[in-house]
Amino acid sequence: MTIATDGAVPPAGTAPTPSRPGTSRRRRNVPTSPARQKLISVASVVGGLLIWELLGRFVVSNSLFLATPLQAMAELARMTASGELQYHVWVSGQEFIYGFLIASIAGIAIGLAMASSRAANAALGPWVAGLYATPIIAIAPLVILWAGIGIWSKVIVVISVVIFPVIINTEAGIRSTDKALVEAIRSFGASRTQLFTKVMLPSALPFILAGLRLGIGRGLIGVVVGELFGARAGVGFVILQSAEVFNMPRLFAGVAVLAAAGIALMALCRAAETKLVPWNRS
Amino acid sequence: MTDKADTKLQIADLTKSFGSLLALDNLNLDVQAGEFIALVGPSGCGKTTLLRILAGLEEPDLGGIWIDGREVAGPGSDRAVVFQADCLLPWRSVWHNTVIGLEINGRLDARNREYAMSLLELVGLKGFEKYYPWQLSGGMRQRVNLARALAVQPEVLLMDEPFSALDAQTREIMQVELLRIWEQGKKTVLFITHQIDEAVFLADKVVVLGRRPGRIREVLPVTLPRPRPLEIKRTAEFGHLVDTIWNLIEQDVRQSISEENARLEIGAD
Ligand SMILES: Nc1ncnc2c1ncn2[C@@H]1O[C@H](COP(=O)(O)OP(=O)(O)OP(=O)(O)O)[C@@H](O)[C@H]1O
Ligand SMILES: [Mg+2]
Repeated sequence: MTIATDGAVPPAGTAPTPSRPGTSRRRRNVPTSPARQKLISVASVVGGLLIWELLGRFVVSNSLFLATPLQAMAELARMTASGELQYHVWVSGQEFIYGFLIASIAGIAIGLAMASSRAANAALGPWVAGLYATPIIAIAPLVILWAGIGIWSKVIVVISVVIFPVIINTEAGIRSTDKALVEAIRSFGASRTQLFTKVMLPSALPFILAGLRLGIGRGLIGVVVGELFGARAGVGFVILQSAEVFNMPRLFAGVAVLAAAGIALMALCRAAETKLVPWNRS
Repeated sequence: MTDKADTKLQIADLTKSFGSLLALDNLNLDVQAGEFIALVGPSGCGKTTLLRILAGLEEPDLGGIWIDGREVAGPGSDRAVVFQADCLLPWRSVWHNTVIGLEINGRLDARNREYAMSLLELVGLKGFEKYYPWQLSGGMRQRVNLARALAVQPEVLLMDEPFSALDAQTREIMQVELLRIWEQGKKTVLFITHQIDEAVFLADKVVVLGRRPGRIREVLPVTLPRPRPLEIKRTAEFGHLVDTIWNLIEQDVRQSISEENARLEIGAD
């Protein structure tokens, strides 16, 4: 996957409208071959890093404000060698994975409940809509206060930011099932349960996956912000600590780790989508 | 006129209204086993409503439906529908779409699998089992739709403008194909269409519905010999039948078009 083909994935919206899967199409009017596109992408990234490196060396040479990519890489190598990096990534990784898994399972379950029961929808709908629109990350300091500076406070923060897009997308996915498909299968005498498992759920799957993908970005932010407000370890903690002592190479090393995690998780998500919803990418 | 024992499908005193709108008014129709019935009529006369009631997707206000003398209510695999729109499940391959009716009825055994496979061959899709709907042309998708309906071995096959979304050539090919497939098993078929020539080409009898509320205006037997090649559409007898039917519904169609326009104009305000 090159960056140039990313237009085919649902937009990462912040509005309570669910991102609609598979509606955008690749533009055809630019006759750039895939190999060329890849080349341009690589050149763009390398060029950007080069400019940054040069700026850091010759323009903003004060190392209290900016570290160059090479300095950050050297710091990363040092931290890896000492095992420090692995430790912090492990802590943050646990916070993210626990939070993300709990939020995914609970979010899908709540979304399904809201889609299949009017009462559940009436009871939960206002909360979900309201909390989704709220920058809920603002409660992070409070969560730290309640749950302490261990990993569980961060898990709670991650859950609170990931769960809402998952609920909303799951519910919208079920609700947007093509009525004609439901009728066609109902005409064979399908029960309500069969309609749900054989039509509505598969039809909602692309939406659910889009919700999970939104959750990845939000979850990473949740981990870092949670750690900024109180932690003993983790990538966000490394960044905060480095900023306090103006250790720029270390700070940028932390940011680079986050960027890498985001890119890797998105790629994983896209691979899962290709595998689970092959019909959605014609 | 015909022997009661041969009646496959009996529609008696069927009445249906939506609020104050009377869609079907006391409709009666007997269909013989193995008969191919085409239903034509102006837009909005209740054809789809009739078919949905037959499929069990809609409840009639009055009257009922009998298949082989048994009254039916609700959907069931003694009837199968081929819808106009593309109603294949996009996440299922051709094969899994074909057998979904069997799957739902818990009848996906070795014998029925084999039968479904033979149906795919019959509709000319052998070798496409693993394809997804988006990889198929419109005509191919409608063939899968047909195979899916036939796979449950229904007593009555219900079709609502199944070819209307296809281009003219594909449509004619599908008409010929449908007849070829129908000749193999002689299912009882109820086929709704807007195209009079399609109705005449396919059917044993063309049932002409009048303008809303839906009532039967006329039942015309089509005596053209079978098997029918496409060239039969150019014969004088064929043209004569088409003209007769067209004259029967022309007035109604004009009125319903002008009503529709009036409604659109009101809506545009
Ligand atoms: N669910 C519904 N609620 C309200 N009115 C309906 C409903 N379904 C159908 N109708 C009305 O009943 C009448 C008959 O509709 P129907 O779809 O059966 O017509 P049709 O003969 O199939 O038309 P066409 O040839 O355009 O497909 C129409 O006036 C339609 O507006
Ligand atoms: Mg109709």
